[in-house]
Amino acid sequence: MSGAVTDVRDVLGIDATTLEPRQPPLKKQRTVEKRPDGITRELYALLGENAPPVAVVEHRFKDKPKFTGPVASWREQKFRNPARGDTLELRHWVRQNPGQQQQQQQQHQQQQQQQQQPPSATLEDGTDAPPPAEQPQLDYQFAKFNIKMSILQYSDAEYDAVLRDDDWTRAETDYLFKLIQDYDLRWVVIADRYDFPNGKDRSMEDMKARYYSVCRNVMEMRTPVTMMSADESALYHAMHYNKEQEVERKRIVQMQLYRTPAEIEHEQHLIAELRRIHDSHQQLLEEREELFNRLDYPQSTGSIAAYQGSSGLATLAQNILNNDKNKKRKSIAAPSGQPEKDDAKPVATAGSPTAPSRAGSIVEPARGGHGHQRTESTASAAGPTPKDKNKSNVRQLSKAEEAMYNVTHHDKLQPGVFFRTMKMNLPKANSFMSKSPAVMAELGIALNLTMPTAKTCAKYEQLAKEIAALMELRKQVEKVDQETRVFKAQEGMADARGKRSASVLSDVSRSSKRPKKEK
Amino acid sequence: MASTPQASQVLPSTTKPAELEYGGDEISALVLDPGTNTTRCGFAGEDTPKTCVPTYYGIIPDPETPKYFGSLKIGENAVNSVIDGMEIRNPMNEGIVENWEVTTDIWRHCIEYKLSSRVEEHPLLITEPIWNPLKNRERTTEVVFEDFGVPAYFLVKSAVCESFANSKPSSLVIDVGHAYTSVTPVVDGIPLRKGSERTPLAGQHLTTQLRHQFTEMGIRMTPWLMLKAKTTYTDLTNMPALRSRDYGFQPHASFIEYQQDRFIHEFKESLSETWPEPRTFPTDINNVGDNFRPFADKSYEFPDGYQRRFGIDRCLAPESLFNPSLSPKPFTGDTPKGIAEMIKDSVDHLDADIRANMLNNIVVVGATSLLYRFNERLSQELTTMFPGPRVKLQSSGQTPERKYSAWLGGSILASCGAFHQLWISKQEYDEIGANIIERRAK
Repeated sequence: MSGAVTDVRDVLGIDATTLEPRQPPLKKQRTVEKRPDGITRELYALLGENAPPVAVVEHRFKDKPKFTGPVASWREQKFRNPARGDTLELRHWVRQNPGQQQQQQQQHQQQQQQQQQPPSATLEDGTDAPPPAEQPQLDYQFAKFNIKMSILQYSDAEYDAVLRDDDWTRAETDYLFKLIQDYDLRWVVIADRYDFPNGKDRSMEDMKARYYSVCRNVMEMRTPVTMMSADESALYHAMHYNKEQEVERKRIVQMQLYRTPAEIEHEQHLIAELRRIHDSHQQLLEEREELFNRLDYPQSTGSIAAYQGSSGLATLAQNILNNDKNKKRKSIAAPSGQPEKDDAKPVATAGSPTAPSRAGSIVEPARGGHGHQRTESTASAAGPTPKDKNKSNVRQLSKAEEAMYNVTHHDKLQPGVFFRTMKMNLPKANSFMSKSPAVMAELGIALNLTMPTAKTCAKYEQLAKEIAALMELRKQVEKVDQETRVFKAQEGMADARGKRSASVLSDVSRSSKRPKKEK
Repeated sequence: MASTPQASQVLPSTTKPAELEYGGDEISALVLDPGTNTTRCGFAGEDTPKTCVPTYYGIIPDPETPKYFGSLKIGENAVNSVIDGMEIRNPMNEGIVENWEVTTDIWRHCIEYKLSSRVEEHPLLITEPIWNPLKNRERTTEVVFEDFGVPAYFLVKSAVCESFANSKPSSLVIDVGHAYTSVTPVVDGIPLRKGSERTPLAGQHLTTQLRHQFTEMGIRMTPWLMLKAKTTYTDLTNMPALRSRDYGFQPHASFIEYQQDRFIHEFKESLSETWPEPRTFPTDINNVGDNFRPFADKSYEFPDGYQRRFGIDRCLAPESLFNPSLSPKPFTGDTPKGIAEMIKDSVDHLDADIRANMLNNIVVVGATSLLYRFNERLSQELTTMFPGPRVKLQSSGQTPERKYSAWLGGSILASCGAFHQLWISKQEYDEIGANIIERRAK
């Protein structure tokens, strides 16, 4: 193989040997290239030398792994475990170090040259192993996991001085400390194995209370609390054990474990309820904020210094005027997309520029549906384009004339027959729909108009709007009233709780004093 | 011709594996897990025992012979050979070793004959039930050091091994074995004595119940070994003549019974099924209501060729594990509590703080737990008993792992590098005596 090819292969990371067996099939492909019968030469030429679209998968065994280095040697070696108290020697297999390995390989090769029998040579390699194998290895990697807890030890003098207890004898205390040492403070196991001959039945809380009180007393005796370092002090305070509280806690945990399915269901229901109340409270807060925002007048943010002179005032007036103009232009420009409204509007606004609302444009003759029908037909018959042309010819009627001739202008009407009351623009809110009858009855107004002319309808609409505004106002008043009541109640409760927490605090201080008395 | 070999995923033989990469350190220890039905033995570090020998042994009584008073037949082949006058006995009683002479021989048979290993070359790990008395533990220690002469030995509670085999240091182990069903809370690898309970409602109980059921049905329970050929039939009132094999002598009744256990065992494995829900099993299976949902029939052929379809009656024996009052064969003494009640008792003994954790880590092992739908039923029973805390059962889906989990846990333990400081050495035994077991393996 040429040097360039091997270099390329090295770069691509292709093992030279892996390609060797693939060469025979390549040759085969070349022989296949002969044109098969049934295909014309031209057609076959079109196929070209393209590889077939399906990858050729060779079915063959995986290559033998190529291990280049020397065979690793393992030796069964004795070892001692420093974590043990005795001289037990166990055997495990240890891999030899590379240095040793090379030496062995040299030996191995020499042996191979001598007798050309690899299996027996490897065997001899193991058995001929140099004498160090017989010497046990003295350090052991797993010995470091032999960790023992350091449990406080007390002397006789210390016991006599501070550890005397009517409930616990010296022997039983010693027994407890031995168990604690044996089981590394696993209280569950200690309580399980606790079996002091002729002793009382001790609960885990009894044992814990005794242990922690012993620890605290000894610590306090060795170094007074004021002299303790930060660590010691933290440990000293962590050792504080409230037995009554623990017993109570266990009782509650037990109750929690043995709840009946009904209780669990009830609890879940309560939790869901709580969540709901919480959510609605959030909503209430949001609503209130919105209301406050609405009630607030807009706050001026900038300084007013610029507008204090006469020239400043003039510019301000000019600005306001411009703003107004812009606004007006926008409101006129908005309906330009609708041609029919476009031609109706200027007529209406010409008469009364102060009432540009859409509702105001539906001004209708006081009498009968005939006039309405007529006007509608004339309006619809006249298309937009001829109207634009004839605009100059149309006589502008004054308001009095319009009333006289029963001329009205209104939005596009839907085809077909309908009642005017159906078209009334009433407030849409649900609350209004449900509560308005009651208010109407209160005011002594019939719910349905007896004579729904355009004027009465307009009046009725106005009335409905006012009623809606009134109702909204009344609702807000009620809400604010309710809130003030709630806050007052909360204030009262907070006062009461303040008094109670003070009493609890005094209780706690009393109970924390108790153990000291026991000493 | 320079070409660099590709770095392979497998650690090449030239590089040393990182120390403490895994906590294992093989010291070629042996693990022995003696049970009432079988004794499992193998090399530590493997995932299944190399050999599983019946604990039952055959004996041809002879008062003249010293020590055993008869010639012993140990091992699967010997126990199942038809030998004139051979009785089948079991050296275990109540799940613990009673006949030490024979047990020693069985253990030796396992190690020296089945594993072809020299017992004095390997450290030996033995499992024991939680209720093993101190006397027995000391005896084991003596046997192991005096008779076997092992270099090191340790005795582990099987519940601890089972917990480790399911990769849990703390769990509530429910072992549904052959002689006993036991429940043991294990905390950080230490079994608790006060929450441990056991009941004889286990595999042997099932066998007894099924045997009773078959006898009541009037089925001829001739074992395979006693038959030359079978004649298929379905009508019990019109039985064909038995084509039995003539050995020239009548085998001992205990041998026949042992052989019957073999097909009853097969019945257990293939047909028995646990009723999936608690408290819905009919009290009288011959008289179930019309609205009772149908239960799939399965047919079984007894060795003599009798074929029978079994319906709900194949749930009866497993049901008696949970509801012992329904047992086809009444109990001689007090009726024990069902498995679920026993677990409840055990949990009630535990400290309130660890109860929830224990219920969340229940490990179910033992070959009898392989009964179809057993775990489903157990889970339902426990969930009804403890509606509050989350009850979670963990049980391997692999049959060998379920059957040999105590052995497997022992295998894990004995190949663990940090465990090697715990072995009781010969030297320590010589210094202190058999009582060392009480000090070292609490």
